[in-house]
Amino acid sequence: MSSNLDDEIEDLQTKISSLKKQLRIHTSTLITAPSTRQLLTKDTPASSSAPKTKHQQQQNSLLSDSADQQEAHTQECLYRACATLTTFRARDPDPCAVDAGAILGLRIEVISRARFLRPYYVLLNRPYLSADGSRRLRVHRHTLPACIPLAGLAARYLPPPAPATKEGSGGKKKQDLARFARAVRRDVVRYHNRLGVVADLRKAAGVGRDTGAEFGEEEQPNRLVNITAADSEVKQLTIEWADGRTGRLVMGNDGEIVKLVVLGENGRDREAARGLLGGAATAEDVVKRLAAASV
Amino acid sequence: MTRISVPTTARLPSTLRVDPTNPTATKILSRLSRSSLISVALDWLDENNLPLALPYLRENRGGYEDEDEDEDHDTGDFHPPARSPEALRELYTSLQARKGSKREVLDRITEGDWRHGLTLYQLAMADLQYLYDHPTSQKWSAYRITPLKPPRDPDGEEPPEVDDKSLTIPRFHPSTFLRTLQSHVLPDVKAHYNFDTHKTLPLLILRIFILDSPYNTEHALKTTTTTFNASRTIYIAFPDASPHLFLSKPTTTTTTPSLNPSLNPPNPNPNNTPLGETKSLHHLLLAGLPQALSNPLQRRRVTLQPTSLVTRNLAELVARRGGGRTNAAGGGWSVYADEGGGDGKGGKGVVGRETPLDLGLGARLGLGVGDGEREGEGGGGKRGVGGGGGEDVEERAAKRARLVARARFGGTGLVGDGKGVERVDVVVEDAFLGGEARRDGGGDDQVMEGNGEDGEDEEWRPRVKLTFHGSHVFAGIRQLVESGIIDGERMPGWMTGEEGVTVGAVRHGRIRGHKGSGL
Repeated sequence: MSSNLDDEIEDLQTKISSLKKQLRIHTSTLITAPSTRQLLTKDTPASSSAPKTKHQQQQNSLLSDSADQQEAHTQECLYRACATLTTFRARDPDPCAVDAGAILGLRIEVISRARFLRPYYVLLNRPYLSADGSRRLRVHRHTLPACIPLAGLAARYLPPPAPATKEGSGGKKKQDLARFARAVRRDVVRYHNRLGVVADLRKAAGVGRDTGAEFGEEEQPNRLVNITAADSEVKQLTIEWADGRTGRLVMGNDGEIVKLVVLGENGRDREAARGLLGGAATAEDVVKRLAAASV
Repeated sequence: MTRISVPTTARLPSTLRVDPTNPTATKILSRLSRSSLISVALDWLDENNLPLALPYLRENRGGYEDEDEDEDHDTGDFHPPARSPEALRELYTSLQARKGSKREVLDRITEGDWRHGLTLYQLAMADLQYLYDHPTSQKWSAYRITPLKPPRDPDGEEPPEVDDKSLTIPRFHPSTFLRTLQSHVLPDVKAHYNFDTHKTLPLLILRIFILDSPYNTEHALKTTTTTFNASRTIYIAFPDASPHLFLSKPTTTTTTPSLNPSLNPPNPNPNNTPLGETKSLHHLLLAGLPQALSNPLQRRRVTLQPTSLVTRNLAELVARRGGGRTNAAGGGWSVYADEGGGDGKGGKGVVGRETPLDLGLGARLGLGVGDGEREGEGGGGKRGVGGGGGEDVEERAAKRARLVARARFGGTGLVGDGKGVERVDVVVEDAFLGGEARRDGGGDDQVMEGNGEDGEDEEWRPRVKLTFHGSHVFAGIRQLVESGIIDGERMPGWMTGEEGVTVGAVRHGRIRGHKGSGL
């Protein structure tokens, strides 16, 4: 009995959420429609001529506010989708925050497998403002994974001001937010591309596909059974063959192949390495070769 | 088995057997529960582990030259040896199914099936099982692995500097690491190393068991019973895809954590005055770890930097120092890091759950769409007012307190999330009535106060030390905010735990570092 009720409640909950979603879509569609826009703009000058109740006025202002908000949001989405690197302002809720809690946020969009992933954020503040009036930025919070060398990039492109005691050369360097943002984004995108290449390699080599395993094990000692990233940056891959050979593939930043070592039972197996690479210069070439071989 | 003990620099082999009557062995085994004991025994009997954990079988009788052998077990043996590992496996499975005492299983293991000795590998497995059963049994401190600048002078005399502009992420290769660690750490002390991946968390745990003897034979294990104790076990955990490592603290010594290691300059050789023997071992290990992680061939040297996070909770460590997005986005900032996994609490209208392709703005429009609880991007709405109605003042205040708590803590600091730190030490170094230093506390948090004075400035700076203590400190503070005891809007940021430190000093209302926080 209780389970029935629970089911019913769950059903209703899902219905509610889907209805809310629909409502959201319809609201935004309606409010951005040119005709709505027209009505709203026409109404404002006309309001003086025709006397309106207070309620109507309120409704009107609410509607035009919402329309403006929606328009701003649409524009933001457009920039986010096309530029993939956008900024926004935020506030630090900490009452003791520096610079009255003003935060500049960088939003880095990542696209992988034809989808927008959860963006990465870098939030910057200006902690030196009160001390010496310097408007230099500093990374306050971020959501980048540990494999993005954010600290190093920040030290290069957003150097802190020199300490007041010694007028060293360190403080003379200018901060360059644009280059910093570009560098961070480049690293993020490279990282995701490397992740994508590993996934493609696995797919092309048929790793994780169980269908061929039963009958193909003996005939194909050359079959690849495992390809995984061996480090956090996904620059090194572990490759395992069905006959127990293992290999280590080292990629560069952009997926170019730096080195491949295959170890068999009798030491290094250069033939297998050549067979796998076949003159490929980047990991994508290997994907293509594997895909062509499997067809 | 060799009869002669020769000092060697090799590590202790996993197959080395320890007499089951050895106090350490019994201690390791007897602290496991019955079900864990049986599952560990079944793990030992697993095909992969069997070579390292051979049980005493009927065929094998007499194959070992242990001194246990001179006792005759054949007749009247309470635990007759089994014929094969398969039979034993069945036996333990049947033990699992039926009820009984722990003693029965323990006796069966020590006096029956492994009477000829438990290998170090088995003990390591049992010890790790205990760690999984009691995840809070170890106190971990997190260290960051940071690259060093290549030395400039050829003699290598000046102390190495931290290379803060380096873009290389330190990499970690388990077997290479072990080999170099063995060569760097304690040449006259033998250690047994065992790697294991954590069952639920993305961690690789290395258990180091240290034996104070230059020999790696069974005889050494027998004679050095005094130094053969559990406090010589050190765990190192490597989180996946993160340049950090977690080092367990020796539990036997009462360690008073130094108050603000974050304020000291990074010390590449953290070899302070050792207090006890276990501590000195710990320090030696700490000194050896950076060398083991370095890569001399590529001229890459690293050092370990303490990160002021000490806790018993591994899940918290993984969240704050792991490979995910939550490393530098704690507290209210976690809305930015939230992966959008539907954690009912903050899943609606939260920042950037939407992709740029989602043009719907319903929840944020003031058209009565969506619910009253809304959060604008970036905290404009962080002080968002709930949809007012004809509620009581108290009810509205309670709701507001809840909203404020959510804005300040985001998705963190929830009682049931299992990511709690159990102790936070904070020193407040602000001037008295400086306008920023405030003390909030109460409820289940103990507040201790020590007065000292250092009149360097004209203002009076009382030295106030706060210690929060509990099972989940920041969840407790969040509850206090939610119930309106702490004013969530005036609460300083370090009380939300967003810094991810458990030890720190507060200056100008901000923890750790003079200019706000961050990297």
